[in-house]
Amino acid sequence: MTVGARTATTPFAPKIGEPIDPIFRQVRDLVYKVCGIFQLEEKLYLMADACGRRMKALELRNSHEYWDRLTAHSNREAELRNLLNEVTIGETCLFRSQPQVDALRKVILPEIVAEKSRQVVKRLRIWSAGCSTGEESYTLAVNMLEESELLLKGWTVEIIATDLNDRSVETAKAGIYGDYALRATTDHFKRKYFLPVDEKRLQVRPEVKKLITFSRLNLQDDSKMLFMKGMDLIFCCNVLIYFDGASKSRVIDHFFSNLNFGGYFFLGTSESLMKLNDKFHLVHFPGAIAYWKPSLKSGKL
Amino acid sequence: MSASVAATIRERVQHIETMPAIPAVFLPLLKLLGNSTEEVRVDEVVRLVSYDNTIAAQCLRVAGSPLFGLARLPRSIKGAVISLGLRRVEAILLTCCLGQAFPAKKWVLDPVVFWRHSLGCAMVCRKFAEKLTAADAEKAYMAGLLHDIGFMVNSLVFPQEFTRAMDLACHEEIPLGEAEHASMGFTHCETGRALAEKWKLADDVIDVIAHHHMVEQSHNAQPLVALVHLSDFLCRMRGLGYGYYERHKVDLVSDPAWAILLQQHRELDGVDLVRFTFELDEAVEEIQALVSTVFGSTPAQS
Repeated sequence: MTVGARTATTPFAPKIGEPIDPIFRQVRDLVYKVCGIFQLEEKLYLMADACGRRMKALELRNSHEYWDRLTAHSNREAELRNLLNEVTIGETCLFRSQPQVDALRKVILPEIVAEKSRQVVKRLRIWSAGCSTGEESYTLAVNMLEESELLLKGWTVEIIATDLNDRSVETAKAGIYGDYALRATTDHFKRKYFLPVDEKRLQVRPEVKKLITFSRLNLQDDSKMLFMKGMDLIFCCNVLIYFDGASKSRVIDHFFSNLNFGGYFFLGTSESLMKLNDKFHLVHFPGAIAYWKPSLKSGKL
Repeated sequence: MSASVAATIRERVQHIETMPAIPAVFLPLLKLLGNSTEEVRVDEVVRLVSYDNTIAAQCLRVAGSPLFGLARLPRSIKGAVISLGLRRVEAILLTCCLGQAFPAKKWVLDPVVFWRHSLGCAMVCRKFAEKLTAADAEKAYMAGLLHDIGFMVNSLVFPQEFTRAMDLACHEEIPLGEAEHASMGFTHCETGRALAEKWKLADDVIDVIAHHHMVEQSHNAQPLVALVHLSDFLCRMRGLGYGYYERHKVDLVSDPAWAILLQQHRELDGVDLVRFTFELDEAVEEIQALVSTVFGSTPAQS
């Protein structure tokens, strides 16, 4: 298998052409089992690199010592969280997953619009749960605006974006992004939906911001979760990986009841629900996976 | 499909002069793949391939491509088997054989796209079967590889009609089989079956070719047909489709094929479908590179 350009940053990361220490494959499997996030074989070097950075920080001598930290040490859960931070670092950007956007615009929206077409109030409610610094929320808003003269003509779109971290919410509200966050955004979209702030940064235009309400929310706050009703779509990317099994399961149960019948729940592109909820139907779209709360008409509940 | 259309298909397929015969080593190779132990197969594969210099040379050329990253190029098929493993060499050989059987100029469908899907499906079928006890993984591989041969027949025998179906599928972003049905009145399943019967393939493989889109209609090998049906969907949803966006939502577990397979293999319930999907992604790059090396170009992913 060919491997893309490697950006090894630690002495523990494998050099080009070198086989990867099998222990990192074990770490990959552990991370999947506990957190539900999967690293492809071709991206295993990223996992090795992330482990390398943690080993350096902990001043460990080899991968076996690190494996012990992750499995036998009293602080193993905290270390797993630290590793996850390293693994998911820099993952966020606008328009990160085109297949997810395609699934949304080409398959899901037409389905929801058809399903709700007889309702008097044509309203679409989307929740970006764990919105971090807003990249996903603005991606959704831009795509909804793109549909506003087509499929969503006459519809009201409401995007609710929440995060636990106040500072993230403030950054998200500002909507100012640099090259790195905009690396997957086309020039066309940059011109249409952003305004220049300075030489290096762009700010989301007010008409995009208008679609979104940012606020702070703890997904583990059961009483507040009960109020997040009537969602058509929920996006929760790389957030549940930090939760233990029981909390994860509780949050997912909330998501299921927060969704309308016929609604969809999206995780991050490498994440799995790990069979924590058997009411959701796993559905595949070209290049994307989602979880579906069957519509009443489908007879699949 | 009416009786007269069926008769036309049979008649046209029976009398295709333009369709070259499959290389002589192909059918024995398929048989070998399904019926023998690995040690026997290495020697048999080497013996069989030595009869056909063109295939052997092509196989060595592919084996030596940068895709496999071998330090030294294999000089013989046996050398290739030792360096790459029997399964990869078999995949290369089967691809080369089928590639030779169908002249590149007569394709309506891009042959790279076609083989990428077929090899991808073969690989997924095998991986799927390996997760189930008492399922024949090699038979599943073969069934996956051949399930869509009807598209090759359509390219050769009904080029104009099939071009229209292909255009409709791309334009409407619908499954190719649906577009065939709408514009031609029959599909690759019927034409594939006619070719498979002409080639005298095994009954269960014929059943897969004929019924992989309508599993309930299969009589001889329902679990195998169901397995290919599900693998076919997975491939089309993970970058090994037919080169265009299919506006499609696939709920594998609610598909009747899932229930059929589950009846035979209760352990299917324990398969982590999401992880299985991610693992399939790992193989996509290798399959694309293999097919591109054999056919010499890289198509758009879809």
